[in-house]
Amino acid sequence: MDPLFLAYSYFRRRKFKESADICTKLLEKNPYDQAAWTLKTRALTGQVYVDEVDVDEEGIAEMLMDDNAIANVSRPGTSLRKPGTSSQGGPSQGVRPTSQSGRPLSGFVRPGTQGGRPGTMEQAIRTPRTAHTARPVTSSSGRFVRLGTASMLSTPDGPFINLARLNFSKYAARPNLAKALFEYIFHHENDIRNALELAALATEANQYKDWWWKVQLAKCYYRLGMYRDAETQLKSAIKQQEMVDTFLHLGKVYVRLDQPLTAVETYKQGLEKFPGETTLLTGMARIYEGLTEMDNAVKLYKDVLHFDNMHVEAVACIATHHFYTDQPEVALKFYRRLLQMGVYNAELFNNLGLCCFYAQQYDMTLTCFERALSLADEATVSDVWFNLGHLALGICDHNLAYQCFRLALSNNNDHAEAYNNLGVLELKRGHVEAARAFFQAAFVIAPHMYEPHYNFAALADQLGDLQSSYVSARRAVENYPNHTDSQELLKQLRQHFSLL
Amino acid sequence: MPAMDEQPLEANDKWLDAYNDRVASLYTFTQCMTLSDIQADGDYKLIIADLGTGSYDMKLKVYKNTNLMSEHTIIDLPTGVVTFYMDTLEPRTPAIAVASGPYIYVYKNLRPYFKFTLPPLDIHPVEQDLWDQAKMDQVNPLVMRETLENLRMEGSVLTVRSLRMLQLDASDLDPFVQVHKASALKRQTVITCLGTLKKSLADDDAISCLVLGTENKAIYILDPEAFTVLATMELPSVPVFLSVNGLFDVEYRIVTSCRNGCVYTLKRGASEGVVKHCIELKSQPVGMERINKNIYVGTMDQMLHCFTAKGKKLWTVKMPSTIMTLEAIDFKPKGFKAVAVALANRQVQLYKEKYLVDVIHTEDVVTGLRFGRFAREEGTMVMTTKSGSLFVKILKRSAKFEERDLAAGPPSAQNVKLNVPKKTKLFVDQTLRERENAVSMHRTFQRDLYLLRLNVAREYAKALDNSMNPISSDPTEPLKLSAQIQGIGPTFKLTVNLQNTSLTQASSNLFITFEFDDRLYSFRKKFIQVPMLVPGLNYIFDTFIDCQNDKGVSDNVKVFVLKQGKSVPLITGVISMPVAETVIMS
Repeated sequence: MDPLFLAYSYFRRRKFKESADICTKLLEKNPYDQAAWTLKTRALTGQVYVDEVDVDEEGIAEMLMDDNAIANVSRPGTSLRKPGTSSQGGPSQGVRPTSQSGRPLSGFVRPGTQGGRPGTMEQAIRTPRTAHTARPVTSSSGRFVRLGTASMLSTPDGPFINLARLNFSKYAARPNLAKALFEYIFHHENDIRNALELAALATEANQYKDWWWKVQLAKCYYRLGMYRDAETQLKSAIKQQEMVDTFLHLGKVYVRLDQPLTAVETYKQGLEKFPGETTLLTGMARIYEGLTEMDNAVKLYKDVLHFDNMHVEAVACIATHHFYTDQPEVALKFYRRLLQMGVYNAELFNNLGLCCFYAQQYDMTLTCFERALSLADEATVSDVWFNLGHLALGICDHNLAYQCFRLALSNNNDHAEAYNNLGVLELKRGHVEAARAFFQAAFVIAPHMYEPHYNFAALADQLGDLQSSYVSARRAVENYPNHTDSQELLKQLRQHFSLL
Repeated sequence: MPAMDEQPLEANDKWLDAYNDRVASLYTFTQCMTLSDIQADGDYKLIIADLGTGSYDMKLKVYKNTNLMSEHTIIDLPTGVVTFYMDTLEPRTPAIAVASGPYIYVYKNLRPYFKFTLPPLDIHPVEQDLWDQAKMDQVNPLVMRETLENLRMEGSVLTVRSLRMLQLDASDLDPFVQVHKASALKRQTVITCLGTLKKSLADDDAISCLVLGTENKAIYILDPEAFTVLATMELPSVPVFLSVNGLFDVEYRIVTSCRNGCVYTLKRGASEGVVKHCIELKSQPVGMERINKNIYVGTMDQMLHCFTAKGKKLWTVKMPSTIMTLEAIDFKPKGFKAVAVALANRQVQLYKEKYLVDVIHTEDVVTGLRFGRFAREEGTMVMTTKSGSLFVKILKRSAKFEERDLAAGPPSAQNVKLNVPKKTKLFVDQTLRERENAVSMHRTFQRDLYLLRLNVAREYAKALDNSMNPISSDPTEPLKLSAQIQGIGPTFKLTVNLQNTSLTQASSNLFITFEFDDRLYSFRKKFIQVPMLVPGLNYIFDTFIDCQNDKGVSDNVKVFVLKQGKSVPLITGVISMPVAETVIMS
């Protein structure tokens, strides 16, 4: 069989390594075999290819040194930075827990749903509890570094293409080579500067008429943080040729510029051209979720399911919404659907267990948790224990709850929620000092939660430490302005302080 | 002269103080007050039947504007005053009917016109016999009293004369019999409440019948011209409040609340089987009004209830104080209908439906309340108080009553519909399943729960054995550890927070050390000596960690807190290190 044909076949079957190996052999025989060279670049790219649209983690530099911000104090409901300011009002924090950014927990973990924008440098450099990795410094490193290094490890004898020695203008003029080369540089080598240079040259070589190159240019600009340039390129690309990908990228640019409403507009434009495109719908839903407009988000997720009823993200988000709006039985149905679709992990079983418990299907509950425990890895096992602790609280077995929370903590030392709940349990047992220490630990680890602040404030108030109580109550109100108990406590304390 | 005092007690934007007379010395109730144009001159008068001292000096007083126009002495305590048109003569002057004892005194043009006496009731034959014998001195008063006493014990209803006799001492019996034996024995009943019912036309000045409720558990309807009883209705109990509407010749409905705490509805039809349905109250009624088709009843337990005409309860509002009296407000120019409730806390509250729309603060507890046209003013509230004052307030034309705007009423949040999700069909299905398999579900759950408890206990013991906990479980060394990693690499800062969670016990001789992969990380401080830990304080220790690897690999790092002389760490913290950034400037 012709080895090149075999290599192609492997490539199509996504056996990139085999494909690349054959190409290497071919290239050893004939270093100028363009077909083999192109295929090898594509195979190597394919190994590390990540959909650029979905991978989007903001680095510390982008977040804290963002000079694209238009207004520091944005109007309510128009910014992703201040969640919960939209008129519609999201779910109450007392019902649905929030992430560090003050946004309700999403049903689907995506890059950026864990941390959100931190307010201070200290928050920014601290690793979020559930993320388990630090935030990258800039988007040009971090996750992308790892992708790059992974490929580096696989070719120990040096890179396949030495970028420093390439003559970009020569390649730019040859479209059959240039596109593969660009993707190789962009994805495999993660060398954005060179990729940008190649893209710029190629665009010029095509007399600025190739939309694909414009999108690639925009991708490079985006990575380099030049959002306005990216916007221009993408808009011009859309003018030439409307593509879903382009709309998605443009939406992403607007999100990065903190213009969620414009992003939604962009997606809507895209939907006019491509009705029922699930990626566009999902993009809109994510933005609404970010703005805490849950009703809109869920509506869009439902639309997504209308067109693609195997969409895991949509199913998961709808399920979460139902769970937190007091309809666990509906959530259960959606999670079961996920199970039928072949999702089989600890998180899903954990959620199924919780839904069963709250929908009063007790016979299934513990089986699900058992399954979750056996499937859980280091990162999730503590959360499963935490939820089991909640179940134990639900059946009033405080001893079991205590043990579960302790187990959650032993598996993840930074589980602030478990600390908080342990504190309450210790308080019930009368161990005031231990409770105090636990609440303190909880709010040091997770300053965005209002519960430990309030609990600490209430305890300090009882102990007569009014100053700490006041400070903590203030923090609780800051995190959850509508928390009545904290407000009451604060009012009481203010009155106390003002009395002679 | 009545003292005029125009100082309002409290500024109220809805009511004008028209007249305050604190020395009017009126002792009256809502039922004994009415407003009517008795001279047919368009100037409405206030007619009050004054109970005087409660035993004598009872008067019928008529106020024209703020002046007392006329006074008539009433012989017995009045129980009700109404005005009604009894003929078709011009000018249309209504007659005043005052119920008092077993009589109705009718005044026309402020002159006594007619006295109606309730038909006498049957006398128990034994009682009649006794008095007949007494008339002929054939019976000893003592024996007579004993017989009467027995009759009473049997439950028969006696005449007033016999009842009085039972109360007397033995020495007074003979004179009493001597005085009274000559006159004929009569058993009469007493009127308890009074109302009017239009006879055949619904006009404002149409001829009306009088409706009387009496102590012998009956309601009579009187013909206005001939003063004959047109209809008699029996009730299970003594009626105390009446509310009548409809036309006698066509169709009418009488709602009456009785002393047994029930509200009965009577309608035209067979004269005996009239009780249509009954509302049982939980407490004695203190006032009853009817607005549109709803019946408002105030009860002694500080509740205002509202029922439909059919007797279905619509709502109940708890009043802040005891209810004194009720009055329906029907202000036609604005189409405003409400019920005014006078309370023992010196307030008159206005309820439109169940919403408190206004509160009038008064100087004294209001016992009599009438709303209607007084003089030439359409919306006037006349109030008499416990201490005998008379207050007249005029409803301002600009007054607007908004529902649920007063905080004193039910909180507005009560009327906000909560966003409670509907019960889904799924939920119902699942409940069905639960109901059918309750036993097996419970058993499965319990079995799983025991298994879970066992598993948890095992895991917990394992974690304790390994000291893998950031909280010490050793009661002699109650410590808590939390560790954070800060920074972006390649150099990180590890902060260890150590806290003694005991109340009194200090900890000493502790060390902190770390476990890590030395190919990946290097610690600047590998061993930290911990000073004595004072209970309750948070101690912070830190060290820098350098990441040796730039390949984007990360590992866990363990923090141990050790005690001198112990081989097992007291507590352990596990930190998953983040991936280090490569050095940007190379």
